Amino acid sequence: MKRLSSLRRAARVLFAGAAALAASPAFAQLAQRPFMVGGGEGGGGASGGITGWLIEMQSQLTRLIAADVHALHGDPAAIWGLIGFGFAYGVFHAAGPGHGKAIIASYMMASDRALKRGIVLAFLSATLQGTVAVALVGVAALIFNATATEMNAAAGGLALVSCSGVIAIGLWLSATKGRALLAALKVRFARRAALAAAPVYADAPWRPAAGSGALVAFRAGLPESAAAGAIDDPACGHLHAPDPATLEAGFSWRGAAATVLAAGSRPCSGAILVLVFALAQGLFAAGIAAVVAMSFGVALTTGALASTAVFAKRVAMRMAAGDDSRIALAARGVEFLAALLVVAFGLALLFAARSGA
Amino acid sequence: MNFASPACRLALALVSAAPLAFVPAAAAAHPHVWVTVRSTIGFSPDGKVASVTHDWVFDEMYSSFATQGLAKPGDLVTRDIFAPLARQNAGGLAETGYFTTLKIGGKTAEFAPVKDGDYWMEERSDHLVTFHVDLHLKTPTAPGPYFSLLVADPEYFIDFEFDDNDPVALVSAPAGCSASIAKPKPLEGQDSAKLSESFFSGLAVGANFGFKMASRVIVACP
Repeated sequence: MKRLSSLRRAARVLFAGAAALAASPAFAQLAQRPFMVGGGEGGGGASGGITGWLIEMQSQLTRLIAADVHALHGDPAAIWGLIGFGFAYGVFHAAGPGHGKAIIASYMMASDRALKRGIVLAFLSATLQGTVAVALVGVAALIFNATATEMNAAAGGLALVSCSGVIAIGLWLSATKGRALLAALKVRFARRAALAAAPVYADAPWRPAAGSGALVAFRAGLPESAAAGAIDDPACGHLHAPDPATLEAGFSWRGAAATVLAAGSRPCSGAILVLVFALAQGLFAAGIAAVVAMSFGVALTTGALASTAVFAKRVAMRMAAGDDSRIALAARGVEFLAALLVVAFGLALLFAARSGA
Repeated sequence: MNFASPACRLALALVSAAPLAFVPAAAAAHPHVWVTVRSTIGFSPDGKVASVTHDWVFDEMYSSFATQGLAKPGDLVTRDIFAPLARQNAGGLAETGYFTTLKIGGKTAEFAPVKDGDYWMEERSDHLVTFHVDLHLKTPTAPGPYFSLLVADPEYFIDFEFDDNDPVALVSAPAGCSASIAKPKPLEGQDSAKLSESFFSGLAVGANFGFKMASRVIVACP
């Protein structure tokens, strides 16, 4: 509950800040990038190699999608090509910046979620993103016959909400994980101090480990005075114990839902273009089919990235193998870095969206 | 340095995990909008390069997007109806360097701000949208032995390509001037070590990707 309220507070501050930024003339200037579509894509460019190949694939797939929409006029079977190319587009597209993939992966790394849940989160955020694009174009263009300018404004608003949400979640994670990192550091120093002073306690009665984890054993063996500050501090008591059961109990679908909402509420330009194009051709349903396929493709890549993030963290944990206080410190360190990354991604997306890059 | 020390192993562990988090951010923005470019380079009476006029024809997806909601089905969107969107697009051009790099004698020419009447947008009978803009050099410049014109979006959201048949025209050019197109080097030709490096370092590297993919017009005035 305490965490949720701090999340809400962070979100409120951010929305106020974002609104002030959006209202400033400098940002209004930046927002008018020529020939913009939607809320703008994230990220800058990197050249060639895998990246160049990704770009080339997406360009060709876009042309194939357009060709299939045309073909649909005479050949209903073209819908399968459209769905296939849409799916492939999603797979390649998700390897690019923005679109919440990086956020989901970092969130996974920062929050130590089970793999299955990460994949569910990836799937949900991709599906939401597709749905938002369909809803935006469906409502704006189909019902209100909105223009490009109006759709850009709507998409821009959604992007702003999304970026602000991502930054808020990142800050919340950073605060939580930063506190946990400090706690882990304290434990680590207490442990070292205890080791250094060990001979003094050579005659002290030794209590064997009765609990499950070594941390419990180490805690039991320490003189009360040394352990008190680090472990019995009620403010961070539950945070530094790397006990899977605690993490399970602490899992909040509300936190996860906030992440999905923030990562998925920004419609992507590619989906908007395909939908408006299909609409102009009188084939809006085919456009929806293509966008649904795209979402599945995005979910596949995002899920893979999220798994990689979790796997990388596990490898890092193993490399840091030693006594439990060191593992805990490494885990909290990785989580804190990942939390900072979520903030960085949010900021990058915010600036990319405002400049419409 | 002792790589076996606990502190070092911990640092290694943290550092080894960090680049993975950057991978998702590494790939570039990719084109969503395709433009076919026809440019006209205008010379002043005393033989200096004075203006660049562009006609940019958009792909059918962006054309559908731009015309959405502006005209009754079956009607073409006229310059009048397009005026607000044209103004918006023209207004943002300065911010992106007009997507135009004109290099004369090693120096990049500067363009004066675009005024109303210098640009328009319309839907052609084949439903593709055209954006027309006249760019005037702040100071008309003598062409020298050769100069180059590049039309590109550095962010590579827009893929500009010169028209195959009619890429560039010269108006009132001094006798002997001629234009030719230089295509970009294929991607495979680039150094692969540098590429994988940029893949992992992410956002900052190669931000001018659009320039690398762009064709160049070379005008020689011997």
